[in-house]
Amino acid sequence: MQGAKLTAGSSRSARELGLDRRGGRSRRETAIAALLLLAASVSVLTTLGVIVVLTSEVFGFFSQVSILEFFTATKWTPLFANPSFGIAPLVSGTLLVTFIALLVALPFGLGAAIYLSEFASEQTRAVLMPILEILAGIPTVVFGYFALLFVTPILQRIVPGLNFFNALSAGLVMGFMILPTVSSLSIDAMQAVPRSLREAGYGLGASKFALIIKVIVPAALSGIVAAFILGMSRAVGETMIVTLAAGQRPALTFDPRETIATMTSFIVQAATGDQPAGSLASRSLYVVGAMLFVITLGLNVLSQQVVRRFQEKYE
Amino acid sequence: MSVSRPGKSSSIAQTPAGSITSPQAQARIRRRQQVNRLFAFLTFTPVFLALSLLTVLFFDVLTDSVSWQIVEPRNSGQSFALSQAFGSRAVIRLELLAQGKTSEEIEAFFADAEALRKFKARNRVELMWYTADGPFRWIVSNSRDKRISDIGLFEGWGQRQELLASLKEGQSLYLNPWFDFSFFTKNASRTPIMAGLSSAFFGTLWVIGLVILISLPLGVGGALYLEEYAPDNRWTRLLEVNLRNLAGVPSIVYGILGLSVFVRLLNIGPTVLAAAATLSLLILPVIVMASREAIRAVPTSLRLASYGLGATKWQTVSKVVLPNAVSGIVTGVILAVARAIGETAPLLLVGAAAFVPYSPNSPLSKYTVLPIQIYSWVSENDAEFKHVASAGIIVLLIVLLVLYGFAFVIRRRFRRNW
Repeated sequence: MQGAKLTAGSSRSARELGLDRRGGRSRRETAIAALLLLAASVSVLTTLGVIVVLTSEVFGFFSQVSILEFFTATKWTPLFANPSFGIAPLVSGTLLVTFIALLVALPFGLGAAIYLSEFASEQTRAVLMPILEILAGIPTVVFGYFALLFVTPILQRIVPGLNFFNALSAGLVMGFMILPTVSSLSIDAMQAVPRSLREAGYGLGASKFALIIKVIVPAALSGIVAAFILGMSRAVGETMIVTLAAGQRPALTFDPRETIATMTSFIVQAATGDQPAGSLASRSLYVVGAMLFVITLGLNVLSQQVVRRFQEKYE
Repeated sequence: MSVSRPGKSSSIAQTPAGSITSPQAQARIRRRQQVNRLFAFLTFTPVFLALSLLTVLFFDVLTDSVSWQIVEPRNSGQSFALSQAFGSRAVIRLELLAQGKTSEEIEAFFADAEALRKFKARNRVELMWYTADGPFRWIVSNSRDKRISDIGLFEGWGQRQELLASLKEGQSLYLNPWFDFSFFTKNASRTPIMAGLSSAFFGTLWVIGLVILISLPLGVGGALYLEEYAPDNRWTRLLEVNLRNLAGVPSIVYGILGLSVFVRLLNIGPTVLAAAATLSLLILPVIVMASREAIRAVPTSLRLASYGLGATKWQTVSKVVLPNAVSGIVTGVILAVARAIGETAPLLLVGAAAFVPYSPNSPLSKYTVLPIQIYSWVSENDAEFKHVASAGIIVLLIVLLVLYGFAFVIRRRFRRNW
């Protein structure tokens, strides 16, 4: 805004000199501002696009399938000749894998965060953090390969009755994949706890253990919980690990040894087959996509709310 | 622990010397130190586990890309010492000599591009590390050669003597490096030994090139708007909220959007352009956020100085703000592009065909990319494709490591403290 004022000033003197460039200059400035606004608006268009595409197909789907069947039926076989549309097996599969992944990522992620934030020296942290970030940067298809061809054969020796495609190895590997997300956000939260609180803790004679458990973690709790929720959202939306290692057979089960299908792996399965656009089988892809979108969006919003509502403010 | 015992600590305050040296206090201090050490160890465990997993993963990928093979050559399979042949042409020459061709015939063969192409299409000149004749030999293997068995690196090393003893007439034992030069020049194939990632590599180059062309101006433009131009109103707040939430949307949802809008509605079909547009939307929030951070780091005093010299808004933004933010923007773009290179799920939806045995030559070509190619190799039934997949993963990881290295160096080198 300041720039506009200055421009106006300089062009007034230009007019006195008979060199009026004001029109051209400000028109160019306005055009550029409009172009930049357009670029910024692409993201809103993306969201709108997602919402329009998903809702239109979802309405089409529910005009042919009853909502009651969708939520109560226990079989999900939309690609079969005699289809059944019960979302429960896909939801249970997603929950199962997410649960296993969080079982790894939450305690380990928090533990790693405590070590890196409180125990590790500055230099150690500078070395370890980028290496941990590599874990988050490895393409998920590589993790899928690793889960299917390395982890599963090892687990099969330990766990009796483990299927070749199973929720367990997919969930375990996914847990390590989201560990850096959980830990780096938790580290940020713990580093934000002011020095005065730590010193007050030590002043009261607290040991390092007591200080971390009773002062730092509680003070950073909102950030840590937000990191957990974000990790959960990533686990729900993860696709390639489950597609490769957990199989593609929807089953209403909570047995981690079983072959299952998640919402994401069903979307891949439906999209890589040849479903004509507009068919009920193709629409089922959009319905599952819509559920996935709503769930992950809800988790993301929740994580932001947790930070906003419960964040401790220190001066 | 001991914090919650104020009575004891006050007694320490009264008689400090006596209580610190007393055996009970010593024991208490030792216990506290033990608890601290145990806790430090416990919290280090997950870090250690994560690092070990990373190491094991790299190790597994590397060792899977080499395997022992027992091969029964049909009309080929000559092996040559390293000293005999350095280039593939020399090996082909030796192979043709071994097939009983005269030197004139061989010259004619090399002059005939079509014959040479066919030879290369069906034959693989490769470096075998260990054969019955000794280590490090070049051989020409043929797609019609019969592969009797395929044994993992360590397993085969342990059983080396038995395997050699069990060889039948005409068979030989090779240590086959699946990741070699010819891997880069061959296209997709249904035969594991003939499969390469040339088409996928060029597919990735095409897609990523377009992604940069689309997402760079949009991302930097959007960041400039939000940081330099945006008034504080509802629309701006909507843009901000929207951006934050888009970053958390699973990549496969972008795939659904791309499938409906680019592939079907705009009727671009399963082409390089549709893939690039989808991936651009996917990484746009990342680029915008990284660029905003870089732009925000440019101090206001520089902008004011520019205005003071009579510059317009855009002159200030383009000549002062952008040049000073460029290293941060480039780092952000590199990291975003690295993410786009590794994305598989959205491209499966916008129809990256699994089997494309040629490189794209226009934005409207069909294509395959590295992660898709790896995905299709992993899901093949033939167990030998596992080695091809791990060789592909090595290439993908090297590409990503180079990019991360670039980003790291740029951040180190050009960081400015204002």
